[in-house]
Amino acid sequence: MGNLEPNSPLKERISLALNNEFLRNAVKFTTERLRKGKQTATDELGNWEEWRSYGQAIRMHTIAHLDYYLSQFVNNVRAAGGFVHFASTAREAVEIAMKIMEAKQAKSVVKSKSMVSEEVHINQALEEKGIEVVETDLGEYIIQLAGETPSHIIIPAIHKNKKQIAELLSQVAGEPLPADTAILAGFVRSKLREKFLSADIGITGCNFAIAESGSIVLFSNEGNARMVSTLPKTQITMMGMERIIPTWEDLEVMATLLPRAATGQKLTVYMSAITGPKRSEDGDGPEELHIIIIDNGRSNQLGDPEFQEVLNCIRCGACLNACPVYRHVGGHAYGWVYSGPIGAVLTPVLQAEKEKWGEVANASSLCGACYEACPVKIPLHDMLVYLRRRNVEQGTTKKREQWGMKVFQKVASSHKRYRLAIKAGRIGQKFVARKGEIKAKIGPLKKWTAHRTAPALAPRSFREMWQDLQQQQTQIELDPTIQKRMEEMLKKRGDQHESEQK
Amino acid sequence: MNPNRSEEILKELERKAKEKEETFFQHIANRLGRPRLHTPPIQPVRGVPSFWRQYHLDFEERISLFMANWENLGGVAKRFGCKEDLVTFIRNEAETMQAKKLIRWQHPVLEQLEIEKTLPKADVTIWKESNREQLLQKAAEADIGIVVADYAIAHTGTVVVLSGATKGRSVSLLPTALMAIIRTEDVKTKMGEVLAVIQKRNGPSMPAGIHFITGPSRSSDIENDLTIGVHGPGIVYALLLDE
Repeated sequence: MGNLEPNSPLKERISLALNNEFLRNAVKFTTERLRKGKQTATDELGNWEEWRSYGQAIRMHTIAHLDYYLSQFVNNVRAAGGFVHFASTAREAVEIAMKIMEAKQAKSVVKSKSMVSEEVHINQALEEKGIEVVETDLGEYIIQLAGETPSHIIIPAIHKNKKQIAELLSQVAGEPLPADTAILAGFVRSKLREKFLSADIGITGCNFAIAESGSIVLFSNEGNARMVSTLPKTQITMMGMERIIPTWEDLEVMATLLPRAATGQKLTVYMSAITGPKRSEDGDGPEELHIIIIDNGRSNQLGDPEFQEVLNCIRCGACLNACPVYRHVGGHAYGWVYSGPIGAVLTPVLQAEKEKWGEVANASSLCGACYEACPVKIPLHDMLVYLRRRNVEQGTTKKREQWGMKVFQKVASSHKRYRLAIKAGRIGQKFVARKGEIKAKIGPLKKWTAHRTAPALAPRSFREMWQDLQQQQTQIELDPTIQKRMEEMLKKRGDQHESEQK
Repeated sequence: MNPNRSEEILKELERKAKEKEETFFQHIANRLGRPRLHTPPIQPVRGVPSFWRQYHLDFEERISLFMANWENLGGVAKRFGCKEDLVTFIRNEAETMQAKKLIRWQHPVLEQLEIEKTLPKADVTIWKESNREQLLQKAAEADIGIVVADYAIAHTGTVVVLSGATKGRSVSLLPTALMAIIRTEDVKTKMGEVLAVIQKRNGPSMPAGIHFITGPSRSSDIENDLTIGVHGPGIVYALLLDE
C-alpha cells in the first residue's frame, strides 16, 4: 500500500471489525494466549526488566550510530560475496527487486514472512509482470489466497476460521478438504514443497542484521524462511535499514527478548544466521544473495527526539496483544500493514501523506500497556500523544473538533462562564435525564450515549456545596490532640510533596 | 535473454548501489545532526547482563536440562553410552517408521556408525560435494535426515548446525524426520557460549548458514491449533552420545 490512501475511513473500519463476532473472539483468544505465553516465559527466565533495559540500550546505541554500523554491515556482506542495494523509497526497492528478476529471468518467487515487503508492495509488482509469487508462511499463504492483508504481525490469519480456510484450500486442491487442521496443514506442506523446489527466487525479510560479520538473522517456526534461503538459486533479502545490531554478542540479547515477547517461546524453532551466498563447495544455499536496504520514511524519525526510538522496534507484536483497543478491533481497522500501538505510530510517520493516516493515533486509550509490554521499552503511548499534538498543530483534526476545543477552552478558563454553562446544562438535561443517567441518543452526547449511558449533572455542584460544607466544618470543635496530629500530618505530607517535585 | 544482458543488469545495479551508498549513509548522519562516523563507536552496553554471563551449569545438569527442554517441545531425546547402542536405536526407529530413504552428512562420527550396513534395504544418500539438483531431490524425498550437531544449548533445548561442503542445510530441513547426533561434550549452557566458540573458530569467515533448531517445525496459524511438521521435520530426535 506504498503511499496509497486508506481504503475506507477509520470509523468504518472499526465498525466493520466490531460487527464481526468471530474476528472479535479470535483476536481476544489469540492475544490472550500470546500474552499469557509471554508472561510465563518471562517469569521463567527471570530478571525480565534487566533484559529489557539491555535490549533498549543496544537498540538505542545502534540507531544513534546507524551510519557507522550500516556501512560496516555492507562491507562485510560484500566481503562474504553478497550484493547490497540501497532504496530510499518503496518504489526504488521494488525497482531494484524487479531488475534482479529481469537479470535472473525469474518466473516464480517464494516468499517468507516479511513486513517490509508488505510495506513496499512487491507482490503487486511481481504479479503485474506475470511472475508467480507465493507466500509460504502458513498464515500468509491463507490470506494471500483470500486476497487479504495480515491482521496480526505474528498470526496473520487470526481473522479466518477453519471452515473458511478449508474452503480456500479446497479451491487450490480442486477437491473438497475437511476443516481439519492437520489435513489442511499437510496439504499446504506438500503444495508448497513443490513451489520451494521449483522457484527461481526466494525473498526473505530480516529480523536482525549483524554489522560485525555481515550476517542476516531470520526467526521462524515453520521452517519456511529456511526453505526460501536454502533452495532457490537466488535470494533477495529486504531489510528495513534499522534492523542492524552491532555484534554476535548482542544477538543473544535479541534472541532472548524476541521469541519470549512474541509467542512466549524460549527460542523460535528455527533461528538462521546467513552470511553471504553459499560457498563454492557447498551443495545447497543460494548462489547469489542480494540484500536491499530500505529507508522508506525511516530516516525521518532519526534526530527527532520524539520519534527516533520507534526505530528500536524488533517487530514482536507484544504491544498488540497488550493493547485494549487492538484486542477489540483487530489489525485491519488500522488500515495498513502495521497494526496495534506500533502501527498507530509507524503508519503516520512512515507515510508521506500524514493527514490521511494521522487519525489512527486516536485509536488508543493512552493507558501505556504497550510500553509495559515492549521488550525494548519504546514509549509508544507518549508517541501517540505527540502525534495527536502534531495533528492539532498542523490543523489536520476535524473542524468541528477544533471548534469544540476552542469553546471548551473559553468556557473552562473562566469560572463565571463555566458556572453559566453548568446551569444551562442542568436545565437542558431535564428533558433527557432519568434517575441520574442520560440514555437518550440525541444532541451533542449522541456519540457517547450510542454505546453507553452518560451520568447526569448533579443537582448541586461541589462548588455550590462547598460553601455550606466549609461553614459546617468551622462550627465543629476538634479534639486538640487530633487537631495537633492532623496538623503534623499535613505538614509532613507537604514536605514530602515538595521533595518529590525536586 | 543472453547471459551477457543478465550480467549487464547486475553490473548496472552494482554501479548504482556504489553510487548511492555514501549519499545514503550521509543522509543518516545528517538526520542525526552530526558528521559521518568512520571510527567504531564505544558500546556502553554490549551483549548480555553480567548475571547471565556468570550462569553456568555442570556437565550433567546441562545434559538433563537439554533433554528435558527437547522433550517438552515434542522431540525425542535419548542418551547413549556407546556407538553400538546408538546404531541399534537408529536401526529400530528406521524400521518402525518403515523408512525407505535416508540422507546423512559425510561426517567422521557418521562414517564410524556405518548406518548403511545396518539398513541394507534402505536407500542411504551421503551428502558430499556433488550435483546440487540431485542432492536436493534426494533430501526432499528422504524419510529421515541424519546430522551431527556442532553444538547444543541446554537452556533453550537447541541443536546448532553449521553448513559446509559435506554438511548440507537441506539434510536438517527437508526430510520428514530429523535425527541429530550430539556429542555430550558439545552441549553448552547458553547461546552466548556457542556464539563465542563459533566466532573464535571461524574468525571473520563464518559458514554461509548457521542454523539453530529448537524442536519440530510448528505453526499455530489455523485457529491457534498447534500443528507440527508444517514445512520442516515434524519428528525430531536428539541422540546424545557419551564417547
